[in-house]
Amino acid sequence: MTDDRVSPQRPPRRPQVFRLDDRDLTLAPPEPEPDDSSAAIPDPARKRSGAVSRFGMTLGGLFWTAAGGVASLAAYVGLSRLVSDLYAQSPVLGYVGLAATAVLVLVGAVLLGREVAGLARLAHLDRVRDKAASAIAQDDRALAEAVARDMLRLTADQPPLARARADLRGHLAGIIDGADLVRLTERTLLPALDARARQMVSEAARNVSVVTAVSPRALVDLVFVLYTAVSLMRRLAQLYGGRPGALGMVRLVRHVLGHLAITGGMAAGDTLVQQIIGQGLAARLSAKLGEGVVNGLLTARLGLAAIAVTRPLPFTALPAPRLADVATGLLRKAEEDEAASPR
Amino acid sequence: MTGLTRAIEDARIAFATLADRVDGLAHPTLRIGVTGLSRAGKTIFTTALVHALMRGGRMPVFEAMQSGRIARAVLEPQPDDAVPRFAYEAHLATLAADRAWPASTTRVSELRLAVRYATPRGTERTLTLDLVDYPGEWLLDLPLLDMSYADFARQSLALARAPARAGVAGPYLAMVAARHADALADESHARELARLFTAYLAACRTEKLAMSLLPPGRFLMPGDLEGSPALTFAPIDPPALGTMAANSLGAMMERRFEAYKNAVVRPFFRTHFARLDRQIVLVDALSALNAGPAALTDLERALDGILAAFRTGRNGFASTLFRPRIDKVLFAATKADHLHHSSHDRLEAILARLVERAHARAHGHGAALDVVALAAIRATREAQVRRNGETLDAIVGTPEQGQEAGGHVFDGAEEVAVFPGDLPETPDALFDPSGAGFRGIASAPAGEVDFRFLKFRPPAGIGAGAAIPHIRLDRALEFLLGDRLA
Ligand SMILES: Nc1nc2c(ncn2[C@@H]2O[C@H](COP(=O)(O)OP(=O)(O)O)[C@@H](O)[C@H]2O)c(=O)[nH]1
Ligand SMILES: [Mg+2]
Repeated sequence: MTDDRVSPQRPPRRPQVFRLDDRDLTLAPPEPEPDDSSAAIPDPARKRSGAVSRFGMTLGGLFWTAAGGVASLAAYVGLSRLVSDLYAQSPVLGYVGLAATAVLVLVGAVLLGREVAGLARLAHLDRVRDKAASAIAQDDRALAEAVARDMLRLTADQPPLARARADLRGHLAGIIDGADLVRLTERTLLPALDARARQMVSEAARNVSVVTAVSPRALVDLVFVLYTAVSLMRRLAQLYGGRPGALGMVRLVRHVLGHLAITGGMAAGDTLVQQIIGQGLAARLSAKLGEGVVNGLLTARLGLAAIAVTRPLPFTALPAPRLADVATGLLRKAEEDEAASPR
Repeated sequence: MTGLTRAIEDARIAFATLADRVDGLAHPTLRIGVTGLSRAGKTIFTTALVHALMRGGRMPVFEAMQSGRIARAVLEPQPDDAVPRFAYEAHLATLAADRAWPASTTRVSELRLAVRYATPRGTERTLTLDLVDYPGEWLLDLPLLDMSYADFARQSLALARAPARAGVAGPYLAMVAARHADALADESHARELARLFTAYLAACRTEKLAMSLLPPGRFLMPGDLEGSPALTFAPIDPPALGTMAANSLGAMMERRFEAYKNAVVRPFFRTHFARLDRQIVLVDALSALNAGPAALTDLERALDGILAAFRTGRNGFASTLFRPRIDKVLFAATKADHLHHSSHDRLEAILARLVERAHARAHGHGAALDVVALAAIRATREAQVRRNGETLDAIVGTPEQGQEAGGHVFDGAEEVAVFPGDLPETPDALFDPSGAGFRGIASAPAGEVDFRFLKFRPPAGIGAGAAIPHIRLDRALEFLLGDRLA
């Protein structure tokens, strides 16, 4: 049972029969009526941006808050001194300086606001995922419905999902258990997005493997891998409904690396690939080609970790992508190359 | 059971299993048993299940159907020549044309369905589905296999003398008291005993008492055995001391009890039960709540017996050679449409409490187990009624002709809203050992009962082509079939 509050003991209500023309009787709508007011639904990110400031009172948080305060004070003092110096030289210069400062502050505030909103959206994805997990664990209908509505909002700007969203809205009014509703949401809304995500990851991996195989310098390789990985992460986050800003990207990258560290890289289903690579396919390839494959695999793994941390629902009804799914082309290509190249 | 009979029995089961398995390699087949005590809803469930697979419907939770992977399902000739076919067409016609519930299950019947589907990767396959509908009472017979006549007589008489049943058992108990087991065997006397015993069992099953634990199962559901000597026995008090003479009444009863086990119980176990892959057990918890605490306790005992049946044969030769076949058991509280959906979780909790002990055991045995509150055919809509500043969650349906509430007798056409009473937040409140957990029509006057579930007519608009409204039938299908259609 989901409702643990102890309700006040009240006398049991006896069974009763009512005529249908009773004035106090309201019939439930016969068929679940989908509410298609998606336009009127507020943007969760804007509504919840206040949530980011719940840093709590950790020591680190206190430090950064204080540092931020000191920095803004310093900036304020510096700027006001600059403006008054300029004014002392010539009033015109002073006004120009003031105007420039105002623009600077304004744009700074807008940028900051966007960063905060980006962070909030990422945090929102995490929260939805947590909610979904506990809705499944406790078979909690109310929580599941909240998850489904969150997902409808997150995918509201994806035109190809209009039909799927309408279906899901119709099911919201039906009698479906909590865990089933979360799975249904996943099955209805996410397959198309998952396919796109998978494709993005495998394309990125292939690009990396090709480019680093032909590039002349290790430094170029490194830069290219980094660039591809970061842009892949950003696009994945965008795909799943979180549009991270710069700060959001920093957080996302940390998150992905953390995830990679926890999962230890290869999941159980990947052992085959690992064996192929581990038992010296890479070694038997010409050194440069092998490097390309390894870099491609690394990108693919980063991509999988990024999917895991940006997808707003855990993989329950649908299978999670494995390395073999996003790196097959890569491995086949490596094998072909190996077969073609003279020993 | 002697060592030899047991070995022969095990060998026959093993052979049948092997034959099934070999056949299963060529044509993937799934045998699903649909069982439950009398009037639990087996016929309705099977009919609705077949209809859903053949005609589709609103099934969001049944993934294979929702995603359109099921191409078609068609009825096929029933494979077992000696078993009657489940009369799907006739049942559907009764529902559609007369807007009446079809006749209940009284014996085993079977239906074969071929489901053509595409796997998620796109290969087209066919799964052959055998649905076996059989009375749950017959499962309660399986524990008899391990009982002697003396054990059986002692247990049955103890049940009959319990306060909840003593009233209706009166005539039978009087006859038992009148003649001793040492008396000379006499056919007419035995028939009279069996007749009174059967009448007592039948009386226990009326709506007012709603008892469940009534073995031997064939006394109420004789099938084609009506009147045969194997059914002409009854429990009587064993002789005061020593053994019975060969020509005594007691000895005759004992012989017939053994015949019942050999001619009825064992063949059922071998030809039907041992071959099932999946099982759904339908439980009518609402009738027990309607009747009162004694009925609920009795239902719990009966379910315990049914669950014991799932273990029968697990320790024999057959099971060491072949894994136990039943790998999934679904317990379903039927007729959930008699409650507002906000109470379904509570109904599910009551069912879970009823099968609690079984739960613990089944996990140990590796069979997956789940509980669900469902209505194979949804006969009601929902409504809310404001009364004395409170909002009551009610359901709206057409009570069957002759049902009555508050002195008003329904004509079968009038539609009313019913507030059936509040199920408790935690089921333990109902299982108060003193029997004061709640009041039902068995013991309390009609105005003071805690629950009242009227019987509704099936919904209008059921036809061959139209989808049938249901509650969580899709969830049951997903549990029973989902993994085999992947
Ligand atoms: N409203 C409703 N009533 C049902 C449902 N299933 C069974 N019933 C009622 O229960 C009775 C017995 O059902 P049936 O399937 O014939 O029982 P069984 O075959 O003996 O297990 C029916 O006549 C209906 O009145 C259901 O899904 N909804
Ligand atoms: Mg539930």
